[in-house]
Amino acid sequence: MMVENIVFIILNVLFLSILILFLIKQGSGAIVLEQAYSKQIAMIVDSASPVMEIKIDMEKGKKLAEDNGIDFGEAVIINGNAVTVKLSKKGGYTYSFFNDVKVSPRALKDSKGYTGMYLLTVTEKREVNNE
Amino acid sequence: MNKRGTDKILSIYWFVVLTLIAGGIFAMVYVFYGPPYDVRGIESEIFAERIADCISRQGVISSEFFSGNKFNEDITSKFAEMCNFNFNVEKDYGEGEVQYFYKVEFYTVRDLVTPSFSFFGGNSNWESECFIKKENNKEYTRLAKCTEKRFYAVSGDRDQYLIKILSVIGKSEKNVKQ
Repeated sequence: MMVENIVFIILNVLFLSILILFLIKQGSGAIVLEQAYSKQIAMIVDSASPVMEIKIDMEKGKKLAEDNGIDFGEAVIINGNAVTVKLSKKGGYTYSFFNDVKVSPRALKDSKGYTGMYLLTVTEKREVNNE
Repeated sequence: MNKRGTDKILSIYWFVVLTLIAGGIFAMVYVFYGPPYDVRGIESEIFAERIADCISRQGVISSEFFSGNKFNEDITSKFAEMCNFNFNVEKDYGEGEVQYFYKVEFYTVRDLVTPSFSFFGGNSNWESECFIKKENNKEYTRLAKCTEKRFYAVSGDRDQYLIKILSVIGKSEKNVKQ
């Protein structure tokens, strides 16, 4: 009877652990984070003006990119007026912004490697074309 | 009392309860994380703010809107470029369909009904969706999101104007579950 109770408790704990892990995994999955980051960056760029520098905390994205074997320095790509965030090998989410500016994303590093912060430098397109 | 039989019924009952809980949690997670984040409301507000900033700075309408004592009609074609707007979007929205629309109306304080000058740009098909009465019905979530902004500003000659801005964002493919 004692053994049966222990097995019963272990099974319950196992069930709850799987549920909690499932919830955590869903909230920090690549699909959800890629979409959240790309839309967040697009909204920030839409509100930004040239000569602004904006820092974004992407700590969760850094962990996920490292787990998926993606270089965090290449997780954010801005091509024309579309921002793509890629945190998994197969994934990637693109969202466009209407602000016609040149945006250069750069993952910040310190002595230990990537800090999890991204720096967006906003400049005028014409200014860049003249260079 | 048959204890072994009671235990069996209890364990079956318990597994039914666990399955129901698991099913409920899976359903809740699917409902919460399944649909994409809808940022069109915020986007249309930012769009309206950017248009307002482009028209007037510190309450004075930009001189480019006037040609002598009249409104400059050429502003209609120049406005998007002047305000640094780029309406290109990624391929997910179909063949070159512009997902933005804006309309700006200038009213004199003497006549707040008929605009003395107005212009628009972007995809005018989106405008009609702003005037459909949106109740809390899921069928309406695919309609474009609109923001109407109004403010007063003065021209260089100190004439006062009421300026109404309508900004519209389509992009339902990436913001609403299809």
